[in-house]
Amino acid sequence: MDGAPGAQESTELERLRARVAALETELVEVQARANAAVAAAQERAYWLERWHVDLNALMQKPGAAQFRALLRAIRWVGRTTRRIKRRFAP
Amino acid sequence: MSVSVVVPVKDGERLLREVLDALARESPDEVIVIDSGSRDRSVAIARDAGARVVEIEPGEFGHGRTRNLGASLCAGELICFLTQDATPCPGWLAAYREAFTLDARVGAAYGPHLPRPDTSPMIARELREFFAAFSPAGGPVVQHEQTFLSNVNACYARACWEEIRFRDVGYAEDQAFGADLLAAGWTKVYHPGAAVLHAHDYGPLEFMRRYFDEYRGLRETTGHVEPLRLRGTLGLVGADVRWMVDEGFAPGDRARWAVRSLVHHAGRRLAAPAGSRAPRLPRAVNRRLSLEGRDGGATAPPEPVPAGKQIPAWGNRNPDYHEAALVRANGPAPLLDPVPGMAERERLRIAMILPPFRRGSGGHNTLLQIVTRLERRGHVCSLWIQDVMRMHQSDWPGVLRFNLREFFAPVAAPVYKGFDAWQGADVVIATGWQTVYPALLLGGTRARVYVVNDHEPEFYPTSVERAIAERTYGEGLYCISASPWLRDVLAERYGAQGDTFELGVEHDTYQPRAVARRDDTVVYYARHGTPRRAVPVGISALEELHRRRPQTRFVLFGDRRPVEAPFPHEHLGVRSPLELSWLYSQATVGLCLSMTNFSLMPKEMLACGLPCVELAGVSAESIFGPDGPIELADLDPVAIAGALERLLDDRELREQRSRRGIEFVAGHTWEHATDQVEAGLRHALAMREASWGVVA
Repeated sequence: MDGAPGAQESTELERLRARVAALETELVEVQARANAAVAAAQERAYWLERWHVDLNALMQKPGAAQFRALLRAIRWVGRTTRRIKRRFAP
Repeated sequence: MSVSVVVPVKDGERLLREVLDALARESPDEVIVIDSGSRDRSVAIARDAGARVVEIEPGEFGHGRTRNLGASLCAGELICFLTQDATPCPGWLAAYREAFTLDARVGAAYGPHLPRPDTSPMIARELREFFAAFSPAGGPVVQHEQTFLSNVNACYARACWEEIRFRDVGYAEDQAFGADLLAAGWTKVYHPGAAVLHAHDYGPLEFMRRYFDEYRGLRETTGHVEPLRLRGTLGLVGADVRWMVDEGFAPGDRARWAVRSLVHHAGRRLAAPAGSRAPRLPRAVNRRLSLEGRDGGATAPPEPVPAGKQIPAWGNRNPDYHEAALVRANGPAPLLDPVPGMAERERLRIAMILPPFRRGSGGHNTLLQIVTRLERRGHVCSLWIQDVMRMHQSDWPGVLRFNLREFFAPVAAPVYKGFDAWQGADVVIATGWQTVYPALLLGGTRARVYVVNDHEPEFYPTSVERAIAERTYGEGLYCISASPWLRDVLAERYGAQGDTFELGVEHDTYQPRAVARRDDTVVYYARHGTPRRAVPVGISALEELHRRRPQTRFVLFGDRRPVEAPFPHEHLGVRSPLELSWLYSQATVGLCLSMTNFSLMPKEMLACGLPCVELAGVSAESIFGPDGPIELADLDPVAIAGALERLLDDRELREQRSRRGIEFVAGHTWEHATDQVEAGLRHALAMREASWGVVA
C-alpha cells in the first residue's frame, strides 16, 4: 500500500487543519476577552481589594439586608420630598 | 485492592450481629474482631459470623493502640475500621474502593453516619447536616485541608497507616490521624456512598457526660478549648423544630422533642467547655463526669521517656519543597499535543509565573518590560504569582496587579495569585527557581519555557534551596538566558537547551542629561543586602581609593540602610530611574559589581555616558567583550581601586569609554530583548512540533 495520502485524504487533512487553526484563533480571542474582563474587574475593584473588603461577604452578614432597606427608605424619603417640593414650587 | 475490616468490640452484642451480617454482604477479604474483655456474647457472635477474633485484656485497650494492633494483624491493602454499632449500608465497600482511585495520594477515606429510624431528632438532624456539609454537590470529595476523620467508619491505605499510625491517645485518635495525614502530604476522601447506620442516643445526662469525654479528648489531641457560650442555644432548638416539621413529626411529638432539644443543646454547651478544661478538674470529678468512667489520667502505660508536648498540626507546608516532591514522585503534568503551525501563529497565549516581588527588583522589571511588549504584539498574556514564603499573603490579586504596574511596567494582563483559576496556555514561562515546579505541575499547555535572569543556586549557601534551584535547570524546560555566559553555564553544568536574550535599556529615561559632569565623583551601587553584589570588597576598594585620592566624592546608593564605610560618603538610598539618570549624568565614574550574571546597572550607566567598572572573569565579558566599553577589574580591592583611579585620572580614557558605552548600548532595547524572547518561545514550540514529527 502506498504511504502517500490520496487526493481525498489530502483534502480532508487540509480541511481538518483549517478547522484546528480556526478553533485555535477563536480560543485566543476568547482568552483575550476573558483576560481583558478580569483585568478590568481587578482595576475597578482595586480599592476594595486593597482594603480587603469583600462586598458579597459583607452583605451576607446579619443586619446587612436591614441596612440596605434603611438606605432605600432614606433614599425614598429624599426622592419623595424632592418630588413634592418640585410639585409645589412656584 | 484487598480489604480487611477491623472492629474493636466490648460488650457489643446488641448490634454486633447486624454489623457483621451487613459486612458479610459487602464481602471484604478479612474481618478481625478485637475484643477487650466482653462479658456478654460478643465473642461468640463474632466467631459465628466467621470473623477472626483477637482477645486482649481490658487494660490493654486504647483507641489508637488497639487500632494499630488490628492494622498490624490484618493483610489488606485497605484497612477499614468500624465500631461495634456501625452497620454498613449497601455499597459501602464499593464506595471505599472508588474513593482510593480519586487521587494518587489518598491515605484515608470516610463516609457519613446515618441516623437509625429511632434516633432522636437532635442527633438525626445534626448527623445529616454535619456530613452533608462535606459534599454540597452530593458526590465524593478529595480533601486537602479538612482534618475531620472518624474511626466509627473509616478506611485507610496501608502505606499511609504504616507511615503515620494512630497516636496512643485516650480519645480522638482519628482526628489526630486526620491532621497528621494531611501534614505528611496525603489526601483523604469523603465518600457519601460509604455510609453506615450509626447514632449515639442517650438520655440528657448521658449526653452531657459523652460530650465531656469528647471535648476532653479533643483537648488532649489537638489542644482545642471550647469556649463557654449559651447564646445560640435557642437557634439550635429552632433548627431542630424546623427539621421535625420537614420530616413530618406530629405537633405533639414536636413539642415533646423541643423540650428535650433545649435540654440537650444547653447540656452540650455546658459539658463541652467542662471537658475542654478537664485537666484542671480533680480526677474524681473527671471520673464522675465521664461516661467512660475515665479519670483523665494517662491511658498509656508509663514510658521510659516522658511524652513530648502534643502539638496540633500547624503552619502550611512549604510549596517550594512540596511541589518539587510532587514532580519527583509523579512526574510533570503532560503537555498538550502539538498542532501544526503553532510556533508560527501570530498570537500566542502566554502565561508567566512570577515569584514574589518588591519595588526595585531588576528581574521583575526585565520580565514586565518584556510582557508589556509581547502584549503590544498581540499575544494574550496572563501573570501568575507563586507566593512562596507568603510575602504577599495579605495582598489580593488586584493589589498585586496595581503594584506590578506601578513598580515595573503598565501590563494589561490580569494577575492571579495561585493557580486555582488556571486556564491553560500555549506557553507557560517559569521565571525563577521557585516557579519551575508549579509550571511543571500545570497542564493544558504546549510548551514550558524558563526565562533565566541569573544563576540562582549561587544565591544560597549549601541548602535545600540551592539543591532545588540547581535541579530546576535539568527539568527539561527550554531556557532563555539573560546572557551568553548564563546560557553556557546552564548548558555545561546542567545540559539545558536554550537561547539567550540581551537585557534592554529604557533609553527614554537613561540618557545623558543636560547637567555638567563632575570630575571627582564615584557612584557605587552598594546594595549590601544582596551578597552577590560583593559590597565588602567594593567598600574596601573605595577605602583604598579614598586613601589615594582624599578629595574624591563618593555617592553610595541602592539600599535603604546606609552601609558601614570607613570613609566619608553620601548615602542616597533607593532612587527612581529618573533620579538615577541625573546622578549618572553628573558623576565621573560608576562602580557596580556582580559575582553572578551581570545586571542592568552597568548598561544604564553607559547609556547616560558614565564609564564604569565591573568584575572581570564572571559574566560581563560575555556582554561587553574583554576590551569593550567597560573597565574590568578582578575581585580585589586594590585592582578595583586602580581601575577607578585610572578612569578618574585619565580624562581622555574616560571620554572614550563614555562614547563607546553610549554607542554600545544604543542597540540594547527592550524591543530587541522582546524579539529574542519571542523567538525563544516560538523555538520551544517548534521543537515540540519537531519532536512529534508534526508538519505544518
